[in-house]
Amino acid sequence: MIAGIDLGTTNSLIGVYESGFPTLLADAEGKRLIPSVVYFPEKGIPVVGREGLRMQAFHPECTFSSVKRLIGRRFGEEGTQNLGGTVGSPVTLPIHGQNLTPEEVSSEILKKLKSIAEARLGAAVDRAVITVPAYFNDAQRAATRKAGELAGFTVERILSEPTAAALSYGLDRLQENAKVAVYDLGGGTFDLSILQLDNGVFEVLSTHGDTRLGGDDLDEAIAGLILREAGMGSLNTERSIRLKQAARAAKETLSTQETTVVLLPFLEGEKSLEIPLTREQVEKVCAPIVARTRALCLRALEDAGLKSEQLDQVILVGGSTRMPLVQKLVAEVFDKEPNLSQHPDEAVALGAVLQGAILEGNLRNVALLDVTPLSLGIETFGGLMNVIIPRNTTIPAKAGEMFTNAVAGQSGMKIKVLQGERELAMDNWMLGSFEIPFPPSQKGAARVGVQFSIDADGILQVLARDTATGIEKIVEIKSAVEVSDEAVEAMLAGSLEHAFEDMDARIFTEARLKAEEMLPAVESALEQLGSELSESEVLEIKKQSSEVISALASKETNRLKQALTALDHSTQTLATKLIERAMG
Amino acid sequence: MADSFDLLGLPRRPLLSEEEVGSAYRKLAGQLHPDQEGGNEFLFRELGEAAAILRDPARRLRELSNSPSRSQLPSKAAEFFPKIASVLQQADGLINKQSTASNALAKALLAAPLKQLSADLNSALYHLQEWKGSLDQDLVKIDSRWPEHDPDEIHALADSYAYAGRWETQLRERKLSLESLSG
Repeated sequence: MIAGIDLGTTNSLIGVYESGFPTLLADAEGKRLIPSVVYFPEKGIPVVGREGLRMQAFHPECTFSSVKRLIGRRFGEEGTQNLGGTVGSPVTLPIHGQNLTPEEVSSEILKKLKSIAEARLGAAVDRAVITVPAYFNDAQRAATRKAGELAGFTVERILSEPTAAALSYGLDRLQENAKVAVYDLGGGTFDLSILQLDNGVFEVLSTHGDTRLGGDDLDEAIAGLILREAGMGSLNTERSIRLKQAARAAKETLSTQETTVVLLPFLEGEKSLEIPLTREQVEKVCAPIVARTRALCLRALEDAGLKSEQLDQVILVGGSTRMPLVQKLVAEVFDKEPNLSQHPDEAVALGAVLQGAILEGNLRNVALLDVTPLSLGIETFGGLMNVIIPRNTTIPAKAGEMFTNAVAGQSGMKIKVLQGERELAMDNWMLGSFEIPFPPSQKGAARVGVQFSIDADGILQVLARDTATGIEKIVEIKSAVEVSDEAVEAMLAGSLEHAFEDMDARIFTEARLKAEEMLPAVESALEQLGSELSESEVLEIKKQSSEVISALASKETNRLKQALTALDHSTQTLATKLIERAMG
Repeated sequence: MADSFDLLGLPRRPLLSEEEVGSAYRKLAGQLHPDQEGGNEFLFRELGEAAAILRDPARRLRELSNSPSRSQLPSKAAEFFPKIASVLQQADGLINKQSTASNALAKALLAAPLKQLSADLNSALYHLQEWKGSLDQDLVKIDSRWPEHDPDEIHALADSYAYAGRWETQLRERKLSLESLSG
């Protein structure tokens, strides 16, 4: 039996296909939604789920939540800054003097789900389909697969979440022919996929997303709002976890009510918090975050070659889509009322169960044609990205290209495998690199064929072959966790160069660059609009400008920063007027 | 060897709609997907490649005339090129400036040129779409005379579609970047 698992940022679920229906399984308390929180006691077995969540408030340093945001990632990437590990090495989490990988922590959640299923079914459950955000890269997918294996599963498929949700939506509509978008805003990630449903075939046309955009970010923004309302500064870890839990509860309440009161008894010593919040206030701080999904929706439409009016449905899934703010944005971007027929927390898990049933042959005449979300390629001469498999290619896929030596006497070729959409190789994620040796030959005489194949999980394998000698190298692209020490050292060497730079010198340089940009901007703005300001305003701006110039000459970092802030401040009206005039 | 038309069981014609190709592809892909009983990964991939060729008018026409692209720029494309190149260049410069500008005033100064750029992008896209519309008419004409045809005419049309398609993608990409900057 193949179980379907939604391994979520905030909550996880497991289900199986039983007598022709997908069924989600509940734990002993009758709950299907298991919080993705793991508490590691000093001794004994880890505690997962609601109990883990309760322990988090008391032992924040021994409890991990939202680990999905770290899986398959390296220190130094966006979102890992506050973890303080060695830049370039795989993310690890310190606990009781040990270092755990995110996949080890995730495997505890999966073990918990496995035991829930086994208790319900009275049989071993050791095969699984596990879902991941569509926009997960190769390393994140491979690490998720590893987590499944650590939990004792044979991972039959890594499936994209919006695709799973589409399957769950489309199961009752197998005869239909329709174009749908799935807008999936979960606890930590956002995906937008566009599919064509055609008589049981689900063809993904395009997908876009952001693996660092979700309910967590909204909670963070609301927590900041509560602190400001309370007139408080930053809190320690334990208190900020309590605050964040309260922020999440407020967000949930305000999805159905207009007002709520945040209560945090004895947050600081004797001090309790009692802060009233309105939906309007919360929407104001959340709006910029939710707005970030707009551009991704438009890009997915563009990639699918569709206009919003050609879509038959826009299906909402993921807990964060309960927010009226999100529903409003979706209605506006796609110019139609979103489809709320799917259970926001359960649709993805149900889809995973259905994919398991397809693999077992229990669900016939249904096929998923999924795509790879990110382009795959190699670095070529000049540090450019050469795409071998473009994004939105249906998987499994295979493609190759021939390369020749650029220099005479060259005795090998270094191949760097990249994933991403940027033109410069260095801006993309490097999945790995390897060397293919060949006998020294004339320029252009050596020929190396590189072949990429992506399996149905969206995981890449690379084959390189020297066509003259037949030397062949199959390269397993290691996930972030398994990069060689050598590779980590190389990345480290690069980052150390920067680490030794004088911090103060760097801050001054940054301020100097800002000043050099600011001064001509002020001059040109005054030229265009100076006549519309009062004499005293112009005088003030000129005074601040000359202070910036003297601060630059003095080379005093703090003085320059202060002068810049003052100038920034006094030119605000000018900036507003410029924008107003441009927008006419 | 079976070509893309054979693989998808579609008639060898210049004019095939997205619906025709997509529908034929999904029907066969649903059966050949490796997850299905009797699936075949090799054929599934071949089918996917064939569908990608037939969905793109430039590649479809080239397969039909069995020839690679010509090196000569079609005259209409040559006429468009300078305008599009200059809009793209301006767009890259301004978008880069706007996203690296470190203060509000510098950003505000860019508001007017960005608005002009947005208008230029729209105008370039409008003219490009007009051109694509005329290409579609040529395609219908060629299709109505099919299988009688002039290979040179087919080459020129394939090349025009390739240029129009690439430029449209590039212009739209800049337009989206611009919108996400201001949004």
